[in-house]
Amino acid sequence: MKIIDIISQFKDGLNKSRKDLANKLELLFHYSTNKSNFLERLEELLILSDVGILATSEIMNKFDQINFKEYRENNFICFKEKLKDIIIDILNSNNSKIDINKDRLNIIMIIGVNGSGKTSIAGKIAYRLKKESNNVLLVPADTFRAAGIQQLKILADQTGVEMINTKEGADPASVVYDGISAAQARKKNVVIIDTAGRLHTKINLMNELEKIKRVIHNEAKELSLEILQVIDATMGQNAIFQAKSFNESLGVTGIVLTKMDGTAKGGIVIAIKKELNIPVKLISLGEKLNNLYDFEASKFAEALLD
Amino acid sequence: MFANLTDKFQIIFKKIKNKGKLNEDDIKNCLHEIRIALLEADVNYKVVKEFINDLYMQIKQEKVTESLTPTQQIVKLVNKEITKILGSKQSDIAINSTPPTIILLAGLQGTGKTTTAVKLAHYCREKGHRPLLIATDIYRPAAIEQLQVLGEKSNLPVFSIGRNENAVNIIKAAIKYSSKKDIDILIIDTAGRLHIDDKLMSELQEIERNISLQEKLLIVDAMAGQDALNSAKIFCDKIKLSGIVLTKLDGDSRGGVALSLKKVLGIPIKFIGLGEKVDNFQAFHPERMASRILGMGDVLTLIEKVESVYNEKELKRLDKKIKNHNFDLNDFSLQLKKMKNIGSVNQIMDMIPGFNNIKNNINFNKLGNERNELRKIEAIISSMTIKERENPNIINGSRRKRIARGSGTQIHEVNRLLKQFYQVKEILKKGPLIKNISFNKISR
Repeated sequence: MKIIDIISQFKDGLNKSRKDLANKLELLFHYSTNKSNFLERLEELLILSDVGILATSEIMNKFDQINFKEYRENNFICFKEKLKDIIIDILNSNNSKIDINKDRLNIIMIIGVNGSGKTSIAGKIAYRLKKESNNVLLVPADTFRAAGIQQLKILADQTGVEMINTKEGADPASVVYDGISAAQARKKNVVIIDTAGRLHTKINLMNELEKIKRVIHNEAKELSLEILQVIDATMGQNAIFQAKSFNESLGVTGIVLTKMDGTAKGGIVIAIKKELNIPVKLISLGEKLNNLYDFEASKFAEALLD
Repeated sequence: MFANLTDKFQIIFKKIKNKGKLNEDDIKNCLHEIRIALLEADVNYKVVKEFINDLYMQIKQEKVTESLTPTQQIVKLVNKEITKILGSKQSDIAINSTPPTIILLAGLQGTGKTTTAVKLAHYCREKGHRPLLIATDIYRPAAIEQLQVLGEKSNLPVFSIGRNENAVNIIKAAIKYSSKKDIDILIIDTAGRLHIDDKLMSELQEIERNISLQEKLLIVDAMAGQDALNSAKIFCDKIKLSGIVLTKLDGDSRGGVALSLKKVLGIPIKFIGLGEKVDNFQAFHPERMASRILGMGDVLTLIEKVESVYNEKELKRLDKKIKNHNFDLNDFSLQLKKMKNIGSVNQIMDMIPGFNNIKNNINFNKLGNERNELRKIEAIISSMTIKERENPNIINGSRRKRIARGSGTQIHEVNRLLKQFYQVKEILKKGPLIKNISFNKISR
């Protein structure tokens, strides 16, 4: 897909949210009578986007250093660019892509709290990687959730990707073990593991995840492991605690930001990047299988502010 | 990462140079910290703004600054205000005089509608009703199966006619079905939908138009951020919501969304979800939610306990004694006893200046140690004569020996106690008891 097409889809998906923010930004720019007035409204904007207090402070401090009069005299575009740059600076990372190597086993583990969109994402990632000519296997390690396995099965069928069999109530670590064995036997190079949603405060459930990770490392010697945490764009500051906990337990290699087709701005990823330095790798803007995009800081900031 | 409200108060009050009465700046600092706490709890920005303004007025009106315990007063006031906004307990389901009672559950994707539907059905059954669950999510893969599996696990009936009929028709069929069975409550599980999805929002309106609904509940995730108010507003505009259910409160999310929704929409929060089991479902308690939002559940309980043990009159009396240098070992012993009554001696000691030094000198780390230590101290003081308690200066070497023997302790322990007493007395001279209250960190 051409970059231009992706941006326009991105913009369409963020349409409702950006319109709101952009209008406010223009109003902000033109009607703020003085610097403190302006900074106060900027703060409101950022907090309302779930950027959080700390990241908002940082952004505001950077703005505080600007000569306000100079900015009033400059045009809106210039000002927007400055704001964009500050945000991009926080979000930028050298490590923001999913790296799939055709010559080894690539394991992608999908984790997150209940209702964040893990199973949908598992399906979408399977769809994309299959399209890119990988041999993909789906592993339904969510054996807890009622009809969770069925849900993933339907997605597997829709994407034409194989899924290993298992039963509700089976031990997730055993399922993963079976999955990796099957992947090795069937010469798969990608294994996508869907896990059960869990609150990061449940120690036994976090231990279960750590066990799964151990099984993965025991079973597959030559592998690349991507641990993706799914974060719902409508989430508030608690997402930071979630990220911190999951990261402490497992080491999160990337974030998938879902449900960006709503009106929530998803600014929480700015806060997470700032505090934990975990990069956003993927972003999802809808329920269709192809509504999955690589995260790019400049596009995220641009689509948001344009 | 996010120090809690009480830690911040501690820092503010450490800086207070005067005798503990709050001036305008102190109030502003307090309000600033409260504002941050509320934003960190995900209360909507605009709601916070209004709340802080109202609070400021109240603090002035209530003459908080004239009280002996300004910190306690402000914290209590904030808690009271939030509790008031969150509303009284309203956990009743509006039961139709002519059955069936029909309840609709709606909300964004992933909020917990299906799980809540089953919990609600279980709850109703426990109250003597005969509920029927209705599966109308014809979009999400395996959504109907999910409801069916959950229903089966709890022995609750689920009605479904597959994915080929629209929601209204499914419900109508369910009503017809239920009229022939002994069913008095219908609980409709719907598909998760975006508030900006016109097609799906129309579906909700269609249901409202065609079916007589007694309850229309919005299911909201307690982890929701700033945008939750926007989406809830639109749900509210499209269908007349009668209540809110707040889910996933078994996590550590502060749940500020509750305050935003109640304040702006005025819809009662009826129930909360506290886990994935079918009985993890409770009526909403405004007071508990208020202290959760503030991030200080434990401390409020502690404040209540301290207040129950120290009333203002006693504090004033103690103040006077200290001012007049009359604080003696009797008073010391009394304070320790009071702390024992409160329980959590560790935390209480941190709250009272001077006593936190004792805590540091005594090894309270091992379980049961604090009781032993306190018992020892009490024994030592009990072995003293009245004169000795009133005037510890006269306790010389031979007296110390006698006291040690009488209390079954060592002389060095008696020495240590006296040293601690003098330390406390010294510190108390600098400022009144409990005025400059410092709260301990709340451990989760």
